[in-house]
Amino acid sequence: MSDSPKHLRGTVFLGWLLLALAIPAGLTLEALHALKVEVYLGSALRRELWTLAHAHGNLLGILCLVYAVLAERWVPDPKAQRSVSRWLRTGAVLMPLGFFAGGVLNFEGDPSFGVLLVPVGGVCLVVALTRAAFAARSAP
Amino acid sequence: MLPRSLGVVVVTAAAPVAIVVSLVLGFDVVEHEASRALVHRDADFVGATTCQRCHPDQHATWDRTFHSSMTQYADPDSVVGVFDGRSVTFYGKSACVFRDGERFLMDLPAKGGGRRTAEVALTVGSRRYQQYFERIERREGVVMRRLPLLWHIEAKRWLHLNGVFLGSDDANWEKHTQNWNQNCIFCHNTGPRPGYLTGGSERELLASAERTFDSKVAVLGIACESCHGPGRAHVERYQGIATRYGDYLVADNDTRIVHPNKIDKERSVGVCGQCHGQRVPKPLQRYWEWRRTGPTFRSGDHLSDHVTPVRPDTPVGDDSGVFAARFWGDGTPRLTAYEYQGVTMSACYLKGSMTCGTCHSMHGDDVHGQVKPGMRTDRACLQCHAKIGNDIQAHTKHAPASSGSRCLECHMPRIVYGIVEAHRSHRIDVPDAARDVEHGRPNACTLCHLDKSPIWAGDKMRELWGESYRRPAKRPSGAPLTLPDASASLLAGDPVQRFVFARSAGRLDAPVAPADKAELRVVLQTTLLDAYPSIRWRAQKSLVALERELPLGIGQDLARWDHEGEIVARKEVAHRLLGSFARLGLGKLRQPARTTLLGPELRPNLKLMRSLLNLQSKSAISIGE
Repeated sequence: MSDSPKHLRGTVFLGWLLLALAIPAGLTLEALHALKVEVYLGSALRRELWTLAHAHGNLLGILCLVYAVLAERWVPDPKAQRSVSRWLRTGAVLMPLGFFAGGVLNFEGDPSFGVLLVPVGGVCLVVALTRAAFAARSAP
Repeated sequence: MLPRSLGVVVVTAAAPVAIVVSLVLGFDVVEHEASRALVHRDADFVGATTCQRCHPDQHATWDRTFHSSMTQYADPDSVVGVFDGRSVTFYGKSACVFRDGERFLMDLPAKGGGRRTAEVALTVGSRRYQQYFERIERREGVVMRRLPLLWHIEAKRWLHLNGVFLGSDDANWEKHTQNWNQNCIFCHNTGPRPGYLTGGSERELLASAERTFDSKVAVLGIACESCHGPGRAHVERYQGIATRYGDYLVADNDTRIVHPNKIDKERSVGVCGQCHGQRVPKPLQRYWEWRRTGPTFRSGDHLSDHVTPVRPDTPVGDDSGVFAARFWGDGTPRLTAYEYQGVTMSACYLKGSMTCGTCHSMHGDDVHGQVKPGMRTDRACLQCHAKIGNDIQAHTKHAPASSGSRCLECHMPRIVYGIVEAHRSHRIDVPDAARDVEHGRPNACTLCHLDKSPIWAGDKMRELWGESYRRPAKRPSGAPLTLPDASASLLAGDPVQRFVFARSAGRLDAPVAPADKAELRVVLQTTLLDAYPSIRWRAQKSLVALERELPLGIGQDLARWDHEGEIVARKEVAHRLLGSFARLGLGKLRQPARTTLLGPELRPNLKLMRSLLNLQSKSAISIGE
């Protein structure tokens, strides 16, 4: 891995970091249930958003790690590799962050403005995945 | 290769699209609700399910309340009564309650003789008891008619309506078979429109057999729009995400929907008062309009612009005494559904800022009283009267841990009758033995000091709280003031007094030792012979409580005794219990020191008891349950 490009090392770092944050976040959500914390249990919307933040953090963390492992074989073009890494990392940060922020100080029937990060992150991920898909098609 | 992978992509992409399309075009629960026979979407009502889409938490906290299940279509999920083919007998006639698949039926005595089968179409109530209504097709419309039997949820048994409402024994099975369309519909549903069909005349409206209706409601049960007002304008405005977030940025000031805790106190109490405050249309002539199009009040309005809340002297035509029996002599409501009147007579409301929302929440955890956390305790009062809490004994003159130091026991005593229970008065005031006893109103002191007389209460209040208090001069019934208030009220009081004291007599937090309750027990046993079944039932429950506290060996007799049972058997047991009282009580109960109701060796003074019973008010009380 020490010979890997810097952007791939960054993607691996982000993947582990996301898992390191999202897994304890899951435990925290369980604890909020166990302790019957009203701030969490009292809002179905907040529960849903924070659960989504936890799930997306985990899945996108794994995706970052998987990409880092597969990139050199399936996205051989360094320019494309770098581009996918950048879009993937951005999306992987924005989506769980947006879900979490959407559940902080959320309104009665809607997420707070933090949720706007989610579609931005989603677009980043779509770009990354599409770019990776096309790069894989031309891989030797 | 390419076409195959393209196919995979298309199928993969099409699956979620197909799911979304089917959800959008498929079953719509809101539309389904709106299409049911009794439901309308007029007058800007949208229904609770529409509210649920954006307010799931509020919907969930409402949905678990008894407001939401107040009126329901009869089905296996809503019917709690046991329709198992059993036969029940009341007042010499029998009925059979049974099921046919998902249909709930009653085989009943018919009005002109013979039998008839009634099918339950609607249920009303889901907490204490559940009433049943049959659908009757009339010349033009439909009438939902109350059936004579109800299921008492707490007692898990069938009861006859004549034994549940505050009235004397009556063998007429038709007595309480009212129409849902012109009674219950108003307060047990959202957006009621009784739909009295104008084909008939007002004269026909008075003739029960001819009444026809095309009744509709926005929601069966008491739903969001009962308290928040019709929601169509609010829903339409906030369909757009930009409008919603725009308003979030500006302020939460949507005037299209009402938040009862964010409006002035007069309008706030009116939200609850539209049902928890018996009223007549204003002007009264709008009665007929109500029967057609329903009440005009909407949450957020001033209640007094639409109705006249009933007071003791509210006239109906030339008669200003119609409602007097629903209030104690000092104007305090003594029946439930008059909480609005009680609250608006209270200094906490008149001089302070108290509203219903001060203690109650429709979206809290307590579904039984819908009371906020802590508001069943002294905190309810101390949230404003904090100084009193610093030294509560200085205020109450009672031991701090005793019931005499509980704010609600003195300032909101249980002197209100409704649904076979005594409830707390919502006129929050200061007890006054003289005022209370002279107006026939049970006094908070003697509701707890069950062995004490009104004279004692007046003297004690004067001693503890000052010269402004005095002895009462007389009781409305004429019973001696020297007798314990509980005993005199149970024997000589009017029906509500008797019920209130029958309940109070069974309280175990009273400062009377179990062995000193001889007179109370013999009077309660006498009350088993009361002409009012609901009073007998309450006396039975109190006797059971006292028997558990200090057994005399009558537990089995009490458990078997049925307040709505066959009259000869019922009276035989009651007389036997009275006859054996002295024998069973001797050695366990102490001879009262200064009583006249019990002679030597605990023998009941039947002559005096009879003379007190003769003082009972014979006036009937119509409470419109």
